[in-house]
Amino acid sequence: MSECIVITSGKGGVGKTTTTANIGAALALQGRRVVVVDADIGLRNLDVVLGLENRIVYDLVHVVEGECRVKQALIKDKRIEGFYLLPAAQTRDKNAVSPDQMRRLVAQLKETHDYVLMDCPAGIEQGFKNSIAGADRAIIVTTPEVSAIRDADRIIGLVEAAELPEPTLIINRYNSRMVKAGDMMDKDDILEILAIPLLGMIPESEEVIVASNRGQPAVLDEASMVGEAMRRVARRLEGESDVPFVALEEPDGLWLAFKRWMGLAPVREVAG
Amino acid sequence: MKTLLNRINRLFNNRGASKEDAKQRLKFLLIHDQVDLTPAQLDAMKAEIMEVICRYMDVDHQQTVFRLERLQDKVALVSSVPVRRVTQRPETISHSPT
Repeated sequence: MSECIVITSGKGGVGKTTTTANIGAALALQGRRVVVVDADIGLRNLDVVLGLENRIVYDLVHVVEGECRVKQALIKDKRIEGFYLLPAAQTRDKNAVSPDQMRRLVAQLKETHDYVLMDCPAGIEQGFKNSIAGADRAIIVTTPEVSAIRDADRIIGLVEAAELPEPTLIINRYNSRMVKAGDMMDKDDILEILAIPLLGMIPESEEVIVASNRGQPAVLDEASMVGEAMRRVARRLEGESDVPFVALEEPDGLWLAFKRWMGLAPVREVAG
Repeated sequence: MKTLLNRINRLFNNRGASKEDAKQRLKFLLIHDQVDLTPAQLDAMKAEIMEVICRYMDVDHQQTVFRLERLQDKVALVSSVPVRRVTQRPETISHSPT
């Protein structure tokens, strides 16, 4: 049974693209056939985060306009078996595609993949409507900030109005040191306000910038805490229950980080 | 010396304060997003309602509360107006427009 999941947030810059890239890669590493679709037409980025920008020939708009077949536009990630990218067009705008065309595209992609992950553009206009058109469900990405949570609340309402099932939440850039100091809303504060099930918590980390500098998703790095948190999101999506959330504590000291890198210390866990 | 003490004090007192600010501001924002009523409109409504109440009662303005609250998926107008004393008996009220 194939599924199309849209990753959305309302606000820009909260980590939709990084999340899409990592969850997609993690699902493929777990043996599923995955295609990640960049629905941000005119501002494509998913290709860069994945390090696949030099291999684009055709894009999503070429496919929906019938200039090429879907298979010609899909870019195979050589590092991960069963992982594909459908890039966005860079020189067109959101109105180049209609919700109906997206619905047909998603149906086609679902024939050959277990998961179609849609990286939704920021905002609530055409790009958002296109992205949710073919989706079976939605994942909302937010950060522990007033503006991001406000927009997440708005998007949850729009997802429900589109008659998709109740969305799930990923809290990105969680900084435990600030939470401990009382200077950041914690997981329970956010869940109390948004009132949807929690799918994942991703620690704030410099690793993400290093990963995007290199075009290597964090899940490819066994020792990365962000990668581990993303792998766990993928396991939860696969229906595995009771996957603990990665402990979102301060960064390790150098020695512990080294031991972890050597595989001599376990990844920290907390129940919850 | 006093400014230094103030600074140290502020350093400690400020810790843990900003999360509560964030929560309060967020709750306020979400309610106003939902009912599409600006804080200024709410203030204007409050002033009008208080004007009517004050024709009948002497109330404690300092302690008066007027706010919107989210109850599950609905928004409620919650108000508390402490009454000091009733100033005008109902039978003596004239209905002449003012």
